[in-house]
Amino acid sequence: MFRFRLYWTFTKKAFLRSAVYRFDVWSRLGSNLIFLLMWGSIWTALYAGREEAGGVSFESMLTYIVVSQFLTGVNGAGTPLWEIQEKVRTGDISLELMRPFDVPLRYLFADFGSVAFYILTALLPLYTVMFIFMDLTLPSGWETWALFIVSAFIGFLIRYCIEMSFGLLSFFLVETGGIVDVFYFAMSLLSGSVIPLWFFPGWLETMAIYLPFQGIYYIPNAIFIGKISGAEILLSLGVQLFWVAASYLLLRFVWNRASQKVVVQGG
Amino acid sequence: MPIIEVEHLMKDFMIAKRETGFLGAVKSLVKREHIKKEAVKDISFSINEGEMVGYIGPNGAGKSTTIKMLTGILVPTSGSVKVNGIIPYENRQENAKNIGVVFGQRTQLWWDLPTIESFELLKEIYQVPDKRYKGNMDTFTEILGLDEFLNTPVRQLSLGQRMRADIAASLLHDPPILFLDEPTIGLDVVAKEKMRTFIKEINRERSITVILTTHDMEDIEKLCERMILIDHGQKVYDGEIAVVKERFGKTRTLIVDLEESPHSLKLNGGEVYKEEASRFWIRFNRDEVSASGLIAQITETHNIKDLTVEEPAIESIISRIYQEGYQDLPETVKL
Ligand SMILES: Nc1ncnc2c1ncn2[C@@H]1O[C@H](COP(=O)(O)OP(=O)(O)OP(=O)(O)O)[C@@H](O)[C@H]1O
Ligand SMILES: [Mg+2]
Repeated sequence: MFRFRLYWTFTKKAFLRSAVYRFDVWSRLGSNLIFLLMWGSIWTALYAGREEAGGVSFESMLTYIVVSQFLTGVNGAGTPLWEIQEKVRTGDISLELMRPFDVPLRYLFADFGSVAFYILTALLPLYTVMFIFMDLTLPSGWETWALFIVSAFIGFLIRYCIEMSFGLLSFFLVETGGIVDVFYFAMSLLSGSVIPLWFFPGWLETMAIYLPFQGIYYIPNAIFIGKISGAEILLSLGVQLFWVAASYLLLRFVWNRASQKVVVQGG
Repeated sequence: MPIIEVEHLMKDFMIAKRETGFLGAVKSLVKREHIKKEAVKDISFSINEGEMVGYIGPNGAGKSTTIKMLTGILVPTSGSVKVNGIIPYENRQENAKNIGVVFGQRTQLWWDLPTIESFELLKEIYQVPDKRYKGNMDTFTEILGLDEFLNTPVRQLSLGQRMRADIAASLLHDPPILFLDEPTIGLDVVAKEKMRTFIKEINRERSITVILTTHDMEDIEKLCERMILIDHGQKVYDGEIAVVKERFGKTRTLIVDLEESPHSLKLNGGEVYKEEASRFWIRFNRDEVSASGLIAQITETHNIKDLTVEEPAIESIISRIYQEGYQDLPETVKL
């Protein structure tokens, strides 16, 4: 039996808590903007006045970067990796085993709350203004908008499951530096968040296509700027669904092993 | 009727042995050696509904480990545990609804939420009906004075405030059983007293079954009739506190201040175990000699300025037991 009301309470609480930490929202928005400016100017320089590169217009490329920074904002507003590790280290997560709820789900729903707050108060106003004043490509029909939102949401779930799984590895490893680096590397490069997959050398593109990270940034973004359309979109959504299922299973597996370790070895 | 039943409970921890040096590190990557630590060895007891039991023992005796097995966050290596008819580690979430837990060493509230929001969250988690929640909050606020810090985030609470919040939180869902692992640790005298009054009232008025671990014997003395004493993971005594007091409480201490400072004091039936200038501490068994008899002996040769007779508190009894061993303890009372 899924007790929606219980998990929803975590969403509400996290939403309200974000309101208390407003400074956090502004500082995060600030750095988000700085990265946007940085990537914007890098790509402007790379295009060097050309109208088109790799079959993609300059306008679409700029849109890609803007959407990508928007998604970075969305995906970065939940419980960060280091905080999960911290909670493992202090035993906060272990103590939650004593409560009548499912721990990974409760963190997910709390993240919904903080992310919703960040989107509503910071990301949405900022990016709306940006789309009004800049020459950017907007999806042509409402269907594309809807598909983008669905795809971005699935991407969010994939990212959550993977990040949480990586965070929970602290249950088994004393030093997780290397593992964390792998995660951030995959999240920034293999996901296509800063460089779209079509600019990758063939071998890297192949690799990225067979990994879950492209489902977080590249696929929703490709839908948004119209790089893929029609049946291709449905195929991509299928790929995302596959990865969300796979990463959910991974999270469940890691969580089961972690809680098993807590109850047998005392954390 | 027993509400908690523990039989031949054991818990071993496997501690990975850390090798030193580079070769050691490489070796431990391939094959880790483990040391077995027996935290709880064959402990059995049963506790009836509404009882309040002191679970005591020196540091590292296995108290917290036992409590953790009762809550279900630790699986026993062997033996059986039953709490309100449920095997905790097999049915952790179901067990959670029957128990309230306070670990004095750490809070279980949400660190960055205002205290009141932690309570509201718990209300949802345990599905406490509105009316019940309000009633409990009113009672707890009144006795524990929660209102002075309800809007403060938990991480900004003082230790005493946090402890009060924690115990209130553990009782919001009306659990029939309460586990308190050092609920008075670090509290000042007044706060300790308040905490004790609260625990006592909860136990009496709601007939909640309480297991309490503590290093403050005053907690035990004021709250419990029964204590379970463990050491090195084994039970060394289980029974009435009064029996222990009766057995060990025969020893009294007479403290006398003399007008002069003699080098020594020889007494029949009394043993001077400490002296400081003109003050002497004399231990005696009240069955063998009376205080007045001792005083009479002293006045034969000295003038007494002042004197007191001390009855040993459970505190000193227990510390003597820890130091001198358990052979003199009365037979463990089988329930
Ligand atoms: N997770 C763990 N891993 C390894 N050993 C542990 C673990 N938890 C406890 N121990 C060991 O088990 C023994 C019992 O510990 P426990 O915490 O139950 O003692 P305690 O009676 O609560 O002591 P204290 O009064 O100091 O709180 C100790 O020797 C401790 O080092
Ligand atoms: Mg302890």
